[in-house]
Amino acid sequence: MTDQTPHRQTEANVVLRQIGKPLERSDAEGKATGRTRYAGDYTMPSMLHGRVLRSELASARLKHLDASAARNLPGVLCVLTADELPDRLAATDIPGQTGQKRASTDRQILVREFIRHHGEPLALIAAETPAIAEKAHDLIEYEIEPLPGVYDIDSALGPDAPIVTEPDNIVGQHKIRKGNVDKGFAEADHIIENTFKTQFIEHAFLEPEVGLAWVDENGVINIRMSTQVIEHFRFIADALGVPHNKVRILGAMVGGGFGGKEDITVELYLALLAQATRRPVRLAYTREDSFLGHGKRHPFVISHKTGVTKQGKITALEVNIRADSGAYVFLSPYVLLYSAVAAPGPYRIDNVKIDSAAIATNNMYTSAFRGFGAAQACVAYEAQMDEIAKAIGIDRFELRRRNFMRTGDKTATGQTVESAIWSDECMTRALEALGEETKAEEPVKIGRGVATYQQSYGRITWLHDTAEAWVGIEIDGTVIVRSGVTDIGGGQVSALSQIAAESLGVGLEDVIIYHSDSAVTPLAGTTTATRALYMTGNAVHKASSILRGRMIDFAANELDVQPDEVDLANGQAFVVDDPSNFISLTDLAARGASEGLQRSELAMFRAPFTDPIDKETGQGPVFPDFTYGCHAVEVSVDTETGEVTVLKSVGAHDIGQAINPQAVEGQIEGGALMGQGYALSEELIYQEGKLVSPSFSEYLIPTSMDMPEIKTIILESRSGLGPFGAKGIGEPSFTPVAPAIANAVADAIGTRVFELPITPEKVVKVLSQSQTNGDLEQKLNKTPLLED
Amino acid sequence: MLSEFDLEMPSDLQASLSSLPYATPLGGGTNLLVDLRARREKSKRLVWLGNIQAFREIKINAQQVSIGGGTTLSDILHSPAMAEAAPSLFNAARVFGGQMVRNRATVAGNICSGSPAADTVPPLLSLDATICLTNAEGCRSVPLDQFYTGFKTNLRRQDELITGLSWLVPNSNTANLFYKLARRKGDAISVVGVAVTVTREGDRCTHARIALGSVGPTVFRAKDAEAILAGGLLSEKLINDAAQKAMEQSKPIDDLRASANYRRHSVRVLTRRLITQAWHSLPEKTAHT
Ligand SMILES: Cc1cc2nc3c(=O)[nH]c(=O)nc-3n(C[C@H](O)[C@H](O)[C@H](O)COP(=O)(O)OP(=O)(O)OC[C@H]3O[C@@H](n4cnc5c(N)ncnc54)[C@H](O)[C@@H]3O)c2cc1C
Repeated sequence: MTDQTPHRQTEANVVLRQIGKPLERSDAEGKATGRTRYAGDYTMPSMLHGRVLRSELASARLKHLDASAARNLPGVLCVLTADELPDRLAATDIPGQTGQKRASTDRQILVREFIRHHGEPLALIAAETPAIAEKAHDLIEYEIEPLPGVYDIDSALGPDAPIVTEPDNIVGQHKIRKGNVDKGFAEADHIIENTFKTQFIEHAFLEPEVGLAWVDENGVINIRMSTQVIEHFRFIADALGVPHNKVRILGAMVGGGFGGKEDITVELYLALLAQATRRPVRLAYTREDSFLGHGKRHPFVISHKTGVTKQGKITALEVNIRADSGAYVFLSPYVLLYSAVAAPGPYRIDNVKIDSAAIATNNMYTSAFRGFGAAQACVAYEAQMDEIAKAIGIDRFELRRRNFMRTGDKTATGQTVESAIWSDECMTRALEALGEETKAEEPVKIGRGVATYQQSYGRITWLHDTAEAWVGIEIDGTVIVRSGVTDIGGGQVSALSQIAAESLGVGLEDVIIYHSDSAVTPLAGTTTATRALYMTGNAVHKASSILRGRMIDFAANELDVQPDEVDLANGQAFVVDDPSNFISLTDLAARGASEGLQRSELAMFRAPFTDPIDKETGQGPVFPDFTYGCHAVEVSVDTETGEVTVLKSVGAHDIGQAINPQAVEGQIEGGALMGQGYALSEELIYQEGKLVSPSFSEYLIPTSMDMPEIKTIILESRSGLGPFGAKGIGEPSFTPVAPAIANAVADAIGTRVFELPITPEKVVKVLSQSQTNGDLEQKLNKTPLLED
Repeated sequence: MLSEFDLEMPSDLQASLSSLPYATPLGGGTNLLVDLRARREKSKRLVWLGNIQAFREIKINAQQVSIGGGTTLSDILHSPAMAEAAPSLFNAARVFGGQMVRNRATVAGNICSGSPAADTVPPLLSLDATICLTNAEGCRSVPLDQFYTGFKTNLRRQDELITGLSWLVPNSNTANLFYKLARRKGDAISVVGVAVTVTREGDRCTHARIALGSVGPTVFRAKDAEAILAGGLLSEKLINDAAQKAMEQSKPIDDLRASANYRRHSVRVLTRRLITQAWHSLPEKTAHT
């Protein structure tokens, strides 16, 4: 890779002592031994237990609700209904510290009159024990009258469709216009059109939503909870009508988020119940609550029309994207923006026309989920690439190579990508790693597929994202980091500790980090959008670099040399050319302290700030930067039963610089698993808006028996905008997996399932419909496979 | 949330039988506790069978296998001779639930749950297993094939326990296979389960069993399909006819996991496949011992 290693030579020349090493994550031992306290492990004296009453219907009018029997039950402290709440709404937008005006996304806290989705909360209960809360839940009487609803995007757009939220059912729309598509299609030798569909899926984190709230002696509502976003404290304060400094959110290690703990979940109910009872309240969702209680991944319908020359050069692309946003807006407009920007994939296309729209229905609301719309876009554009290759008779990998964006190219919105674009390198490496093709006998067929992608890391640049971190050196030379970042299991805080350790010349074990406390740790923003390492990592790097400079200056003075002769490593400040001339960090810190040296630094990192893109053309910068990579798989398909087995699964990604390669592998392996479930087995089924598969007996995540060994290949261009040239890998590792599997299945059976998940039944169906199926028919005794 | 109930934990069989008329037997609880939590089951009194002495005993000799009423799926997998003595059951155990469930779940509980998707039942039917139903008075033997009377209904009386199961060890001319078709390889509810037994003498099939799961109100034997094979000179055509017949005897429903059509299709594919595979695994020349 050396001849291609671009751009940031300054970092590339630094000797790295901590960064890039597969160190045992600082959070590993506590989790492995069970000593880590998650939010659900906290209790308090005289703590109450909360419970949420939810609607059984998706579209209805609440005619009356009578909680008197529940309130009279001994041990019930309060039952809150909309009548007890002030007439306020809860914001569902991206939280920020920027003061940017936001889209109107508010929702009712409890149902006042109209029920818009299955599971919408009707009442909140606090009681002495969970059993009493449960009993009270059953004692609340209410009457609801079903109303006509809309349950799919086509009917939601119909002329007489009921309106879910005023003024109409289109809750977000984006356009991208580049070049001239008519001209592009005129230049094409072939025009290929296809429509792809994806399904609702569930985050299925290990730890359902949970929290504990109490009001302290200053009247501050404290909420200890499992969340990706401690900065919802502002929305909570607004919803309660208290000043922002009267709500504090404390995190804990999070048992998985994937976007499902990005919106407000239990904290609003906890705050209301603690405020009403003035006692500590714990609220733990059951798995069923969790299935009903947070937003899902948007189902998408994506149509591609691609013009291409005989040589395989794409001349024009028209994409139409529609997604089901469910009953409340939440982050849908942003998700649809991501999908529009991502829609052309990592390809250089001169003439582009993209339209995306989020459509309201009475299904469960949809919001953030790893990949955030860009993942659904990839399901479509990578399947389309294989379909184009098949239609024009070009090798599918070669087709990609002929169209890949290369380093220095612009995106469809006219943004020049500052970092390396190594799609080709990643694809080549991933394909190599698949090795020899597995042999199989009829009726089993083997297929291979790849998917490449372009996935942003960091937030939309007109949200003006910032992150803060504080780094300090104790008098004994140990290091403390404070930052509001939440750790959702990806090794976020361990990576930050590693960065501080690198800069300050100590070991990972010498760093302790305090994190996720909205009142005490400097605010670092959300752990979402593959931004935690990029943003907070840069903030920690900045703070520790300043501190490093200060310590080196001080040491140079002590050692009687110039600062540029001094390095900081292994707990010492030493003269580079004469390492015997050194002072330990312990002595240095102690001496510094006695002379009033400031041994701490608070730093803010600011992402690039831009203006919003042009509304009509979508032109302008949208994200700080992008990650590129490839996932490749080999599958076997039983062409009689339709069963798909993933035999090999390889993720190759240019992540800029691995801070901790072990943690990166963890992300890629997790992405491979989650993407495989998305491709093959996971689906939330709503009937008339009602979730009919609210349990893990129907919602099928891949098990260890379904997963092959996953190979991970980490490429490091050191060209990213993160610390030490890092890019991001949290979302990117997921994005290409499902399309790679879909392409491999299509390769195996010679025809395509255009709709995820690719269940055995759908495979059998497309096989029986496909023209090429003569011999199979014969083998099966000449009876049709499936009667329709 | 679980409602309140009394739990008895007797250590001998007689004690458990004496409280049975008023209580619900609790094996591994992997069905019962789920049902209690979902409030489908309202029992206020449970008798746990896990303390009963020797209730998990597995005995295998050259002719016969017998297992106790408390035998778990893990016990089946850990019994060294079981792979030979009941290949289909052993294979069903391997794809049954996950490790934790296998450690708790009992074969008797699986039978009594009455689910058409119960994975041990097609294998046990294909092996002509007999169950032993015991009450305070004594024990009666019932062929498993006669046990079910309809969807989740069976011959067990309120005061009876399944205390054991037995079947004959398949001889060396007999093959016994099981396949579970599901939407996921591990820990999934069967879409279709097929178990077959085939005995071969030269070119002739002298004995056949085809048991089907998840394609009717109970697990059942496709007896008309078996009849096509038994006594016949086995050919591809005969196998196809039997597979076709098994499909016709299936009465599946559409549900979240699969359509009835796909299930019927799969019954035919899997029946044909398993019988073909079983047949070819057997020696052409009959071994006389
Ligand atoms: C996560 C999970 C995965 C599962 N996977 C599978 C699977 O792959 N395949 C499958 O078939 N099932 C599966 N099941 C269902 C269940 O595990 C099985 O049916 C199991 O065999 C039930 O046995 P048990 O001992 O737990 O029964 P219990 O739950 O204790 O009892 C079930 C019923 O049988 C009665 N009963 C129990 N023992 C006796 C006895 N000795 N005599 C008379 N009546 C008795 C009980 O009263 C009750 O009515 C799964 C369940 C879970 C929770």
